[in-house]
Amino acid sequence: MASANCWRCLARPSQRLLVPASLLSTPPTPASAATFTTSAQLRAVKAGSKDDVNLSRHIRAGKNLILGKKKKRPADKGKPPASGERKAFRKRIQLSNNNALEVPGLSEMTAENIVDPSSVGKILGLPEVVLDQLRASEAFKPTQTWGLFRSPHTLIRAETVDLAKQLTDAIGKKETLRLVITGDRATGKSMLGLQALATGFMNNWIVINIPEGQELTTAATEYSQIHNSEQFSQPVYTVKLFQAIFKANQHILSQYKVEMDHMHLPISVNRGMTLAALANVTKEPEFAWPVFQAFWKELLLPGRPPIMFALDGLSHIMRVSDYRSPSFELIHSHDLSLLRLFTDALGGKTTFANGAAILGVCTKGNNPIIPSMEKALEQAAAAQAGEPIPPRDPFFKKYDERVFDALRGVRILNVKGVSKPEARALMEYWAASGILRLRVDEKNVSEKWTLAGCGILGEMERAALYDVRSPV
Amino acid sequence: MSCKLTPWGAAGVVRNLSVRTRRTPTIPFQIATRSEPQQLAHKTPFIITRRGFSDDTTTNITTASPDQPPPENAYVPKPPEHFAPNFLNADAIAALEKAAAGKSLDDDGTEGLLFDMPDRVGKQEKLQNRYHPVVEQVTKLLMKNGKLAQAQRNMAMILNYLRTSPAPKVSPLRPLLPGSPPPDQLPLNPLLYLTLAIDSVAPLIRIRSLSGAAGGGRALELPQPMAARAPPHRRHFATKFAQELISVVEGKSTVWEKRNNIHKLGTAARANLTHHAVVGKKGNKR
Repeated sequence: MASANCWRCLARPSQRLLVPASLLSTPPTPASAATFTTSAQLRAVKAGSKDDVNLSRHIRAGKNLILGKKKKRPADKGKPPASGERKAFRKRIQLSNNNALEVPGLSEMTAENIVDPSSVGKILGLPEVVLDQLRASEAFKPTQTWGLFRSPHTLIRAETVDLAKQLTDAIGKKETLRLVITGDRATGKSMLGLQALATGFMNNWIVINIPEGQELTTAATEYSQIHNSEQFSQPVYTVKLFQAIFKANQHILSQYKVEMDHMHLPISVNRGMTLAALANVTKEPEFAWPVFQAFWKELLLPGRPPIMFALDGLSHIMRVSDYRSPSFELIHSHDLSLLRLFTDALGGKTTFANGAAILGVCTKGNNPIIPSMEKALEQAAAAQAGEPIPPRDPFFKKYDERVFDALRGVRILNVKGVSKPEARALMEYWAASGILRLRVDEKNVSEKWTLAGCGILGEMERAALYDVRSPV
Repeated sequence: MSCKLTPWGAAGVVRNLSVRTRRTPTIPFQIATRSEPQQLAHKTPFIITRRGFSDDTTTNITTASPDQPPPENAYVPKPPEHFAPNFLNADAIAALEKAAAGKSLDDDGTEGLLFDMPDRVGKQEKLQNRYHPVVEQVTKLLMKNGKLAQAQRNMAMILNYLRTSPAPKVSPLRPLLPGSPPPDQLPLNPLLYLTLAIDSVAPLIRIRSLSGAAGGGRALELPQPMAARAPPHRRHFATKFAQELISVVEGKSTVWEKRNNIHKLGTAARANLTHHAVVGKKGNKR
């Protein structure tokens, strides 16, 4: 049935004829638009005036049924996560997974078997005591896959034995081992650092660990100028470090007593007090740095236990920090007192009467490129190998002499991928834990080893543990 | 595999035989034994040089001077060696003999390999998909605003959560798929966990409705088994859309009817324009 209306515009024919086209108010047409359609113009008008009379709905006095219109969802009632909660979730460290199977027949790590060459390629468990100490010194990282297995075990690789041997030999001769662990990304540098710390704990050395060099230089913790000095202390971090040292080394520190007079200290420290008490004496940030200096002096006295001082993220402390001095100049990282302590030790300026191990662990994940450090490490590696020392680039003027000083004469331990027998031991452990669902034979081990760039451990984990590939 | 003993194959082998009719200058002992006058004779310009000076009236033809001794042995062309003993021919002849013996011309390829030779991958075939199809499908369902990387990160966290959370307690009221592993094994295989959850809760049938077939304008609803993975709805979206446009222009589309109905309704409801709800109350814009 034909409608009586105009086919196009709903106007009655009479009206349409009477109203001249010039009176019909139409917005100016863009030149490009087609003249027969008004869709674009109508849309443009609609977008501009929002509170138009909306007559597109049927109007009725009583009940109003609205169809096809989106109902407003009620706002999400759940509380948003508190500040820092998500980061805490991201950074939490979980050392066990009750779903994973217990692997029987694995022995525990001891001070003896970590230097034994026959334990290369074995998986050893971390003893309970050492676990607590490592946890206190924040040696575990959230990126490591501890949370997948029943209990923490580590692979003893050739580098581990080599490092542990170097450490114990040097400290046995009351020498200072200054060593930098480098290597490609995800090769297990931090894990090697952890094994070195475990060696220190098992040998009853005093272990001081700075878990992230980055935390000290990115202006994330408070700092204050030290009186009559060009250096800056980081009091809050120092208090935190003190607590970590106290927790991790309590049983050793409590065997030794304070032997010097510390008259200048704002708090009373008398002779006969144990070193553990000294480490725990202050929670006040103002007194933290003077007390730390006194503690360090006490540790350097002859007759004290050897010291292991380790820092992860070495390249972050070899640059100009993000802190500003009162004259608004950027502070070099080595002017931060805690880092100065470390770099002096690493560069060989501090003498340790009882033997010490100073470890710098490089990082490659979030790594600033520092030409001075690269060159210094290159030179140190060449000197260690007995090769001619590569000269500095004569056309580069931004070399930082302080970095060269801090890395003078260090030993280099370059970490590479694991060998195939080591990879096999690791994969057998994964399979025995029930995480790796694969037959561990030569072909599969070779495949994962090759996929991981010749046994780079982090990549092996990615290729084997986090494998959500479809079956071929 | 095509037969390697076709005449074309053999012809190819023969074509590979390099037939050298001239003495090869690169063979070292020949270079060593070559005598000096011969080298000089080689260096003398050929006919082209003379042709270049053709407008020169003076005859400039170099003749052997009487004091120089003539070359000891004159050039005698060698008979062409059809199968000269060089390495190219040795290979080709070996291949020819192989073909004659009825063996494959390609190497077996198993020599020197530690493991078996893998099968050759097809042209359109991927060696391995990066993710399991279920993981891929769920990840893309999680994706918002095209942020795939974020969805993948979430997916990784989801799988890790499944790995580390305690084993589920399955309710007897809602049994899982028959043949599923015991629940305490599920966290060790998060992929299976995910697949089992999805497959157990998924309906086995879907309802297809035949419109108007039930009588009285009602749709007839028919159960239908589901496919393993429901096909994407917009598989031929572009075609369907274009066909709709064509049918609009041709007047066959049902949207014309829709339009007419709306117009009819609008005409009938003209009286409402003077309704007090619209006109009477000022500021009550509805």
